Amino acid sequence: MVPLVTKDFRRTTLKPRHRPLVRALAEALFSPNGEATPERLDTFVDDVDAFLSPASKTLRFGLVMMLHVLRWSPIFFGRFRLFEDLTVDERVTHLERLDHSKVKQLPLIVVAYKTVLTMLFYEDEDELRGLGYPGAERKRYLNVLPPAKVAS
Amino acid sequence: MSAPSPERLDVIRGREQARRFTADVDVVIVGSGAGGSVVARELARDGRSVLVLEEGGHYTPQEYGALPPSQAFRRLAREAGMSVALGMGDTPLISLLAGKCVGGSSVLTGAVCFRIPDEVLHTWSGPLGLENMTAEHVEPYFAEVEHICHVETVPDQMRSRATELFVKGAASQGVEMKSMKRNTRGCKGAARCNFGCPNGAKMSVDISFLPDASRHGTTIVSDARVERIDTAGGRARGVRGRFLDGVTGEPNVPFEIRAKVVVVACGSMHTPLLLRKSGLSSPHIGRHLTLHPAVRIGALFDEEVDGWDGALQSVYTDHYWDEGIWINGVYSAVNVLAAAFPGIGPEHRRLVKKIPNLAFFGGMVHDDGGGQVRRWISREPLITYKMIARDKARLLKTIRILGKMAFGAGAREVMLPVFGMGTIKSEKELDFLAPDAVNPIHAGRIECMAFHPLGSAKMSTTREAGVVKPTGETWDVENLFVIDGSILPTSIGVNSQLPIMGISMMLARGLVANFEHHARRARG
Repeated sequence: MVPLVTKDFRRTTLKPRHRPLVRALAEALFSPNGEATPERLDTFVDDVDAFLSPASKTLRFGLVMMLHVLRWSPIFFGRFRLFEDLTVDERVTHLERLDHSKVKQLPLIVVAYKTVLTMLFYEDEDELRGLGYPGAERKRYLNVLPPAKVAS
Repeated sequence: MSAPSPERLDVIRGREQARRFTADVDVVIVGSGAGGSVVARELARDGRSVLVLEEGGHYTPQEYGALPPSQAFRRLAREAGMSVALGMGDTPLISLLAGKCVGGSSVLTGAVCFRIPDEVLHTWSGPLGLENMTAEHVEPYFAEVEHICHVETVPDQMRSRATELFVKGAASQGVEMKSMKRNTRGCKGAARCNFGCPNGAKMSVDISFLPDASRHGTTIVSDARVERIDTAGGRARGVRGRFLDGVTGEPNVPFEIRAKVVVVACGSMHTPLLLRKSGLSSPHIGRHLTLHPAVRIGALFDEEVDGWDGALQSVYTDHYWDEGIWINGVYSAVNVLAAAFPGIGPEHRRLVKKIPNLAFFGGMVHDDGGGQVRRWISREPLITYKMIARDKARLLKTIRILGKMAFGAGAREVMLPVFGMGTIKSEKELDFLAPDAVNPIHAGRIECMAFHPLGSAKMSTTREAGVVKPTGETWDVENLFVIDGSILPTSIGVNSQLPIMGISMMLARGLVANFEHHARRARG
């Protein structure tokens, strides 16, 4: 990556109490069968925090509130445990329930976090290669260049 | 033609400023996007002293071109790309993408360039009485803008295999696709224009207009949050605000700019906020926001389509124009596309692994002004949008059209933009979107996005009907101009980058022609 002259602001959004919840969510979404290493999941939480933190205070507050709802949401379905205390399989099932819930706000929590986490998780070069993505290499534009340019 | 190395752009970084900053200039421009950059260039070339203030940071094309998509979003986009318009009633939640960097949203566009359609101009110049908004009058300005930012037709060879399948699917429905025009020079088909071109080939304004403005003496300052327009005696006198602190990102060191003319070009989401905070009282400020609500579908094919290899957008059809629907080819970064796939855990992962076989088709709706921009508890606005029944029907029809095209092209499965819904495997399963469906879907279940917020400070021929005069000057305050997408009086139905540039060029030329008049007023 090219070094940036404009340095990032030093902000954080996720408090220590939020981190296990985000990690548990990531594990359910991307590593239900242990596909990601524990270290990867730990650093992934840092990536999530870095992504959320440039947003406005209002949006960050809303996203943190969503995390609290997610944490306690098993109670809505008669499970008296916090989200992060469920097993991975239970978390997947629970997220599917939320995703299909008729209460309009609950699917939005899943969608919001699934969108952000998926974008970040599959940005990893190893993951992308595993999907068959070739990185920066492109071929089609070569058909447009003048022949001499292609030869060089 | 390959992309030349972008010219270095001199920018004062506000976040590095430790002391109060003051300046006295002819023109201060708030915002460095498609509107502000054009005005800056024109006035600077006319010999005026020009200062451009941009709230976002400055990143060179080499810097942002090397950023992964999420890192580009968090540095170049408002709310790190997470802005939304809240749906009121039977309306989707609409995600909004807008730039917040030197170059504004032009850095994040798909580079698609359309002129304002004649039908729209007829409405503006006819029923709305904006006499200069005829096709004949705006033509030279569009021609000049197209020349400056190198608008060219995407060659057929640059179509990705996914796009070729889209064309095939459209043909199966009797629809002919046409080649798009885009502002590129030496595009290598990286299909990630929305995160800043990795090859410096997109002629966004930080590569086209701003360097020319800078060469002619314009000063550009980043990280500068304008908080208020100073007025006295009904005239604009300058602006004041604070630079964002380099560590916290919060407003810190103050600045004050005195100017004969103030141009607001913050875009449809922020121009209304600045006008309101500065005491302008028109009831139209913040209202009439149009978005072009858009959807995309994913189509899974047996063959690998490698949709990332080719121009991000290269074809469109105006076949459904009379029905208010615009269909176009789309793609995006792989990880961003994956973010919208249905399913949780293993089902989601199954689809992600199929991404080399997935093509994406998109469409948007020519909407009515159902949006509103309001100030509330933070710097960012509260944006609400109430979709009228006609536009909801258009949105559902767009999804059905795209679904039929996907199956017509031979897709095995189709992912619809409906929350909580898995893939469908036959055209018959699109029937729930039909106008006569037994259980009509609530629009809140539609995954919807928008890239063209327009019209929140609209132009009008009378004070009662809008916020700015046909010259771009506000009705309320003399020597205060608004020149950006917010002044467009109606939705335009096509991508907004070139229309904003073209209209800005026209208004900037008017400002140049009458500058001495404004300067005399300022002195008086």
